[in-house]
Amino acid sequence: MLLEARDLTKVFGGFRAVGGASLDVAEGEIVGLIGPNGAGKSTFFNCLAGDNPPTTGTIRFRGQDVTKATPEAHARAGMARTFQVPVTFEDMSVAENVMVGAFLRHGHRAAARRVAEEVLAFTGLDHLADTRAGSLGTPGRKRLEIARALATEPVMLLLDEALAGLTPAEVRLAIELVRRIQQRGITIVIVEHIMEVILSLAERAVVFHQGRVIAEGAPRDVVDNPEVVAAYLGHHMKRVRRG
Amino acid sequence: MKQWPLVLLGFVVIAAWPLLTSDVFLQRLGALVLLSAISASAWNLLGGYAGQVSVGHSVYFGAGAYASLVCFTHFGWPPIAGAPVGMLVSMLIAAVVGTPTFRLRGHYFSMATIAAAELARILAANVPLLGAAVGLMGPPVPRSAWDLSFISPIPYHYLFLAVLTLLLALTWQMQRSKMGFYLAAIRGGDRAARSLGVPVLRYKLYALLLSAAFTSLAGSLYAVMIGFVDPDSGLGILISVKMVIVAALGGAGTLFGPLVGAIILIPLEETTNAMFGGSGTGVTFIIYGAIIVLIARFRPGGVADLWHSLITRGRRGAARGA
Repeated sequence: MLLEARDLTKVFGGFRAVGGASLDVAEGEIVGLIGPNGAGKSTFFNCLAGDNPPTTGTIRFRGQDVTKATPEAHARAGMARTFQVPVTFEDMSVAENVMVGAFLRHGHRAAARRVAEEVLAFTGLDHLADTRAGSLGTPGRKRLEIARALATEPVMLLLDEALAGLTPAEVRLAIELVRRIQQRGITIVIVEHIMEVILSLAERAVVFHQGRVIAEGAPRDVVDNPEVVAAYLGHHMKRVRRG
Repeated sequence: MKQWPLVLLGFVVIAAWPLLTSDVFLQRLGALVLLSAISASAWNLLGGYAGQVSVGHSVYFGAGAYASLVCFTHFGWPPIAGAPVGMLVSMLIAAVVGTPTFRLRGHYFSMATIAAAELARILAANVPLLGAAVGLMGPPVPRSAWDLSFISPIPYHYLFLAVLTLLLALTWQMQRSKMGFYLAAIRGGDRAARSLGVPVLRYKLYALLLSAAFTSLAGSLYAVMIGFVDPDSGLGILISVKMVIVAALGGAGTLFGPLVGAIILIPLEETTNAMFGGSGTGVTFIIYGAIIVLIARFRPGGVADLWHSLITRGRRGAARGA
C-alpha cells in the first residue's frame, strides 16, 4: 500500500470531527472521498496532508510513519496537495508560482524553470506563464495549484475540492486533466462534492458520515448503498420535502 | 531586466553627486540618503521579500552602532573594527529573538519585535559599560586614517555607496535564487508554501540573519560618521519606524524601493530639521504619519508600484497610438 491511514480521530475541543476513520490507497489509484457537508472528509484530508496531525491513529506513506510529520516533510516524501480555497502566491507570475514547487527537487534556477515550463505545458497554462497569479479567476487558480503541486514531482496528489465552483465545461476540462495526471503514474485522492466527478473519475469511493467511513467500493455501488442514500441523499430529500 | 540603462544612469548620478555641489549640507545629505538606503534595504530582506514586518530592527542598528563605539571606548580599536563584532552580535540576537517570534503572524510578530527592541533600549540606558543614558563617543580627533574620521562628508558618501552596491548586488542575486522564490512564497502564504516543501521557519531565519547583519553594519557606519550613540539615537523606536517607512514608501520587496524611498524621505526630513531647528523634530513625526496614511490609502505597493502602473499605462497608450 502506498498510503495506510489507521483509525484516525481528530478532536477539536469537545467536537470529534473524525472518529476512527481508516483508508488504504494503492499505487496508481484514484480514490474519491465523498460525504455530506461536515462529514469530516476535509479534516481527514488535512490529517493525511500533515496540515493538522490526527489526535490518535497512524498514517504510513511509502512505508514510513508520517503521522506527526510537517507539511513540508510530506512534500519532500512525495505527497502534494491543493487547497479547498486556492492559495496562490498573488504577487508572483504563474510561472514563478510553479517554480516554487519545482525548487523542492531542483536547487538551480534554470532547472526549476525547465520543470516549471514542462508542467505549465502539461496543465495547459503555458500561455499564462507571465500573468500575475492574482489576476487569475477561480478555474485558473485551481489549475495553477495543481500545476504547482505537480512541480514538486509527487508520487501522490491530494485534491481538495479541486473542481468545486467550476462551470460544467470547466469541470470536464479538469476531469480530463486529472485523468492525464493519473496516466503519469501519480496516485490521486480527491475530496469532492460533485457526484458526477466521482462517478466519472474515481475507481473507488469512500463515503464519510459523521466522522466515520460508512461505505466503500465502486462509485456506482456506493451510490446505491441504502446507508449512503440515507446519510447523503436522504438528508437532502428530507430538506426538499420540508421546503 | 529592461531597466538597466535607467539603473546605470541612477548610479552615475548618485556617484557624482558630492562632486556636483560644493554645498556641505547637500554633500552630507547624499551620504545620509545612502546610509538610510542601506538600513532600509537590509530591513527589506526580511520585511519586504519575506513579508515579515519587523518594527524592531533598531536592535540590530543599535548593536552595530554600540559595537563600534564600545570597541573604541574600551579597547581603543578604530570604530569600524567593531562592525564585524556588531554583525556577529546582531546575528546572535536575531537567532534568539527570531526563533520564538516567527511562530507569530502578522501584527503579533510586529508587536513582538517592538517589545524586544524597547527591551534593548532600556537595557542599554542602564548599563554603564554602554554609557548608560549618556551614550558613547567616538575618537574626538582621528588617530589614524583607520578611524575614518573626516570633516568632509565625501569619503562617507563613497564608503556608503560601496556598501549599498554590495548589499543590492547580494539582494539581486538572492531574489533570483531559490531563496528569493521561497521568501516570496512565504510572503504569499505560510500554509501554501509549506505544502510545497518550503521550510518556512528556517527560511525566515535565514532572511532575518542576513537582514540583521546588514542593519548592524548600517549602525556601525552611522557611529563611524556621527561619532556618537546614545539609547535614543541608536535604539529608539523611530529608527525602526524609519526603516519601515523608507522601504514601504519606495516599494517593499523590490530591489531599488528602499533607495528610492530614502531619496524622497531623507531630504524632506533634513530640510524640515534645518528649517525648524531643534523644535522641528516634531515635524518629522508629522511627515512620517502623513506618509503612512498616504501609502496605506492610495499605494500599498509604494513608489515602485506607481512606477510600474505608469509604465504599463504608458505602454498601453503607445500601443493604442500605433
